[in-house]
Amino acid sequence: MKSFQSIPESLNPNLYIPTMGVIKQTRMLTEKEKWFEIQMPESHAFSYEPGQFVEVSLLGIGEAPISITSAMETPGLFEMAIRDVGMLTQQLHALNVGDKLGIRGPFGQGFDVQNFKGKDVLIVAGGIGLVPLRSLIHTIFKDRDSYGRLIILYGSKTSKDLLYRNELNMWESNPGIEFQVTVDQPSPDWNGIVGVITTLIPTVSLDVENTVAAIVGPPVMYKFVLLSLHTKGLPEKNMYLSLERRMKCGVGKCGHCQINQSLVCQDGPVYHYPELKKLQEAI
Amino acid sequence: MTKIFPLAFISDDVIPDWVSHLGKKKDVIAPHKSGIHSFSFEKVSNPNHVILNYNRTLSSIKKYFLPPKETLFSFSTHNHVMVSENVEPVNSIFLGVHNYDLQALFRLDHNFSTGNPESQYLTRRKDSIFIGIAYNPDKWHFSESVLQNGSPNNSNGFDLFVHPIDNGYILETLTENGKNLISDYPLEEYSDIIPPSPKQKHKINEMFVTFSHLFSKSWLSPVWEKYAEKCVGCGTCNLVCPTCFCFDVKDEMELDLVKGKRVRIQDGCMLRSFSEVAGGEIFRDQKAARMRHRLYRKFKYISDETNESWCVGCGRCSAYCTAGISIVDIVNDLILESNAKEI
Repeated sequence: MKSFQSIPESLNPNLYIPTMGVIKQTRMLTEKEKWFEIQMPESHAFSYEPGQFVEVSLLGIGEAPISITSAMETPGLFEMAIRDVGMLTQQLHALNVGDKLGIRGPFGQGFDVQNFKGKDVLIVAGGIGLVPLRSLIHTIFKDRDSYGRLIILYGSKTSKDLLYRNELNMWESNPGIEFQVTVDQPSPDWNGIVGVITTLIPTVSLDVENTVAAIVGPPVMYKFVLLSLHTKGLPEKNMYLSLERRMKCGVGKCGHCQINQSLVCQDGPVYHYPELKKLQEAI
Repeated sequence: MTKIFPLAFISDDVIPDWVSHLGKKKDVIAPHKSGIHSFSFEKVSNPNHVILNYNRTLSSIKKYFLPPKETLFSFSTHNHVMVSENVEPVNSIFLGVHNYDLQALFRLDHNFSTGNPESQYLTRRKDSIFIGIAYNPDKWHFSESVLQNGSPNNSNGFDLFVHPIDNGYILETLTENGKNLISDYPLEEYSDIIPPSPKQKHKINEMFVTFSHLFSKSWLSPVWEKYAEKCVGCGTCNLVCPTCFCFDVKDEMELDLVKGKRVRIQDGCMLRSFSEVAGGEIFRDQKAARMRHRLYRKFKYISDETNESWCVGCGRCSAYCTAGISIVDIVNDLILESNAKEI
């Protein structure tokens, strides 16, 4: 084995320095999840695909990978929904309009929307998995006629945990969307469907050859959803999943997100199921 | 029979003078004694302290190009100013490097120059010169099992290479950089052949070319559990490995709570928290799964792309394992098990 031959001329002087974005709007989605709209400076007005993520940092606190939850419209403007689970996310929740935060990215592979066009799209969202899937849903909204049916199945632990409640109501009343939501641990005032996400799947009729499924949720959800869709006869080649890992660097160097030979920050987080199936440690 | 290159002879007693001479051109980094049984690459300040006859250093020369801890940038929380750490080429003469450590460096070159090339590493890598030395394999070395040019006296990739013989060394000149380095130092010609390399004592029972197939069948092997039972999960194997490069990223604040640094710190896939995500899920929670991941990283994942072993056979992970586990034993057990299945 030999050394590298030459240093590339276009070498990024520092892959790890973020660019400061400004918070334009915030809103609490639930007690634990806060929504942010971020404006990047013109010099870093990036475009992105649904399913991609950014590295979000607060100087002095740290950095973490966070999914983009909006659909690409104006370069440099994007939205995130962040659950308060640790030191960094707690500090992020304390931020308000006008505050700045560090952004690197966008990173990774998103949903292959070109391959979704002309087909029925089935969205299966478990809990916080709705965050990146909302990016896909809004992308489809923007070009609604290019897609067939839009079926959204959303499962949440409790009704208090439901994200984007106003939008859920709009989806429910929108004739162009077949939307169903289920809650696993219902409170007394819940009138809707009760059960885990897989209780919704048998109720949906699918033209399986012409349907693509985008599935995002907690690790425990995947096997049951895949099994359920398999039972319905949905071909594996029509399924896409997004994985959560601890991407420390986002640029394929730190090793934290490696699953077998794949780096989630480079090859994922969205995987085509036939590819994902080859990764033994994926789910 | 070993091929003959342009060769010169340096006697034992001339070595300190030669090292001093090299030191006038660039900093010289060479093995030194460190503790009772240990050796360490250090910058030479006294040429008499250089030890050329050593089995292995605890850390490889990796530490100069990928420091165990380094600042990625400094910042101020007041104005969000972020300043890259000034990274300079190491620009040194590395003297007395074993074949496997240079091979390991070439593997790091691959990791940091492909995909998103990394400026910090690649800048440090510029301008250094490598003088290798043949070594006498101890009970842990096994480079010949994993490297294409793994014999202890293989000079592949070096600028200069020294072969110990009675009373001195044969100096083999391999590159223009090497030639320039010694052009102004009078040396007598050596006209005999380079003696054959001593044989390694420890070996994997099959050659590396068979490993891709072996590891494709070994995912569910009970061998992982067998060694995981002994493993204490301390991560020493990651720490001493010359091709391990994984890192964690952290912020460190000064007492004024305004100035700080984002640093990276060497991390290891054998540590339980390595694959932990927000919310506490750990994707390789079992030691057996972590050990399997480590070996697949050395022998399968990147090796399938490059046809090269990412283990260079230095024996550090075995020699320094706190639980007495040898990576060679693990692979030999996988081979045994695989052969038993095929009969």
